[in-house]
Amino acid sequence: MHLIRRIICLTALSLAAVTTSLHAAPLKVGYSDWPGYTAFEIAVQKGWFKDAGVDVEFDWFDYGPSIDAFSAGKIDADCIVASDALGAGAAGSPSKFIAILDYSEGSDMIVGKPGIASIKDLKGQKVAVEFGLVEHFLLLEGLKRAGLSQSDVTLVNTPTNNMPQTLASGQVAAVGAWYPISGQALQSPGSKRLFTSADAKGLIYDVLAVNPASLAAHHAEWSKIAAIYYKCVAYLADPATRDDAIKIMAAKVQQKPEDYAKNLPGTHFHTLAEAKANYKGDAGKAMNLHDSLVLSDKFSLENAVYKVSQKPDDYVSGAITLALP
Amino acid sequence: MGLRDWLGLRHELPHRRRLVLVFLSFAIPLILWSVVSYVPWIWHPLVHVTETGGVDYFSTGMDVDRAVFAQEIANMAKAGLKAPAGYRVNPLYFQPPHAVARAFYTAFTTPPRLPTEPWLHQSLGHSIRTIFWGFAISSIFGLPLGILCGTYRFFAKLQEPFIEFFRYLPAPAFGALCVAILGIDDAPKVAIIFIGTFFQQVLVIGNTVRKVDPSLIEAAQTLGARGLRLLTRVVIPASIGDIYTDMRILLGWAWTYLIVAEVVGTMSGITYFINQQARYRHFDNVYAAIAMIGVIGLGCDMAFAWFGTVLFPWKRRARKTVSRVKKFPARSPSPAAVPPPADAALSPPFGAENSET
Repeated sequence: MHLIRRIICLTALSLAAVTTSLHAAPLKVGYSDWPGYTAFEIAVQKGWFKDAGVDVEFDWFDYGPSIDAFSAGKIDADCIVASDALGAGAAGSPSKFIAILDYSEGSDMIVGKPGIASIKDLKGQKVAVEFGLVEHFLLLEGLKRAGLSQSDVTLVNTPTNNMPQTLASGQVAAVGAWYPISGQALQSPGSKRLFTSADAKGLIYDVLAVNPASLAAHHAEWSKIAAIYYKCVAYLADPATRDDAIKIMAAKVQQKPEDYAKNLPGTHFHTLAEAKANYKGDAGKAMNLHDSLVLSDKFSLENAVYKVSQKPDDYVSGAITLALP
Repeated sequence: MGLRDWLGLRHELPHRRRLVLVFLSFAIPLILWSVVSYVPWIWHPLVHVTETGGVDYFSTGMDVDRAVFAQEIANMAKAGLKAPAGYRVNPLYFQPPHAVARAFYTAFTTPPRLPTEPWLHQSLGHSIRTIFWGFAISSIFGLPLGILCGTYRFFAKLQEPFIEFFRYLPAPAFGALCVAILGIDDAPKVAIIFIGTFFQQVLVIGNTVRKVDPSLIEAAQTLGARGLRLLTRVVIPASIGDIYTDMRILLGWAWTYLIVAEVVGTMSGITYFINQQARYRHFDNVYAAIAMIGVIGLGCDMAFAWFGTVLFPWKRRARKTVSRVKKFPARSPSPAAVPPPADAALSPPFGAENSET
């Protein structure tokens, strides 16, 4: 019985330890494997948050679970696709986009099998996408530009991880996938990029979405965190430090730096100046964040991702970025 | 040495032969794996392109279907262009034994790429801790409850129908709920392992306790034992050896939930390694990591099996006599829906009982 008592004590202690660790309160930010998010790792490794006096903890997730944790209020902010943040908001976890991280510029793509030369050839064919996610959205944009609509193709709901095999099986005419899965799909012989996020710049945005309560309580800290993100982007852009930046980011996802560098052009990182302009509605040749959210809200309603329209103005919050020096 | 000697029903095999069989049980799958990996005309459905020839969409280092490759050779011949060259390979996700063995070694010797990341052995330690707590907490509740259910009809009827229902609910599906309640660190992972283990544990242990020889209980009652005394002096001692083996099997069960548990909340442990390697298609590392889990699991189980023979010395003697003498199953089949673990699964995996012969 002694042993049992000891085990019970240990369990109670460990549970207590777990709960106290929740109460000691650094800000928590979730991030995952996408270049625009992994850029934060530069600041983590360089100790920039400590230097700025911000008590923040970066938690590495799989992308899906990071949204779960954010929706459950267990992390204060998440690096997230803007349209997914609207989805989380519709489900009761609204957020404020205090920093624009990047938009996808080629990393998301629709890949066709041999014999499919353009989006037009998809008419009457089967296309595999994961319903409700950004590739589905991208496909519809591609179809629209080719003068087609969703009803002209048969959609097959497939997990994005399985896209390379799905395309290789020849059972569908095209698949939609993001980096790094899209690259694998392209290795299938004769396969071809039909439409990518580089053809629809600014359709797929990534943002730092912050819990509104935390933002209100820790405004100064969030402002510093946003500033540090743009500092990371500057560090990545500067030819003198670019190699070091890539080395850190590649190491985080256990890739070789030279392989990782090849895929970086698919992500359009936002410098502070670009982010400021974007918040004011000017994204250069790309669609700005606000307009992109209007489109994605329409898409989400039409495809029953959620049922109540989400207003972009409730989410896009430029005050912090615009106030940065 | 006749076939009969090897296949004698319920005969103990001599020590030597048992060792041979143990060796073969690992050697046969390994040989099959090697044959498929190294004999170039078996399977190898792809061609690794070494020279692109005149095919515009080929690139060196690309793997293409054999049929496509053959077609292109024919096409090039027709067009009067240079034929592509290449050799047959298996798909990337089917790695040969030597690559996995090498990955197994290098995974431990490679320092983490960032100073804040854990070494592999630290990740493994993290996983083992997660399993330990999940299983320990499950056992703290499951063990007493199982014993009560196995002893008293009252508890069995009160608990088991619901538990029977709940054990079908997939533990991973509770991931988001666990995060919402327990946060993002280790607690939700432990909870997933708990959910995956606990309900099976109550039923399996209840079942084992129910198989205690009724005549033992009757005899004890005749001698005046009742209530708690009956439980602690008769029922538990009579079933403790079998409960121990049940626990070993259940621990293995807990391991199978590790991979789904560790993606709940922040990524951690060996799953972080496996997922990250799979995402960038380093399948040699993936299989090495899977093999590590197997080695740890089997190692633990063998250690517990050995420890069992120390704790319950009467068990091995008893079983040995029974298996030689009895002609009919001594125990009646169990009434509950969970079949008792097969006798084969209950005995220590190998080696542990050999000392007697």
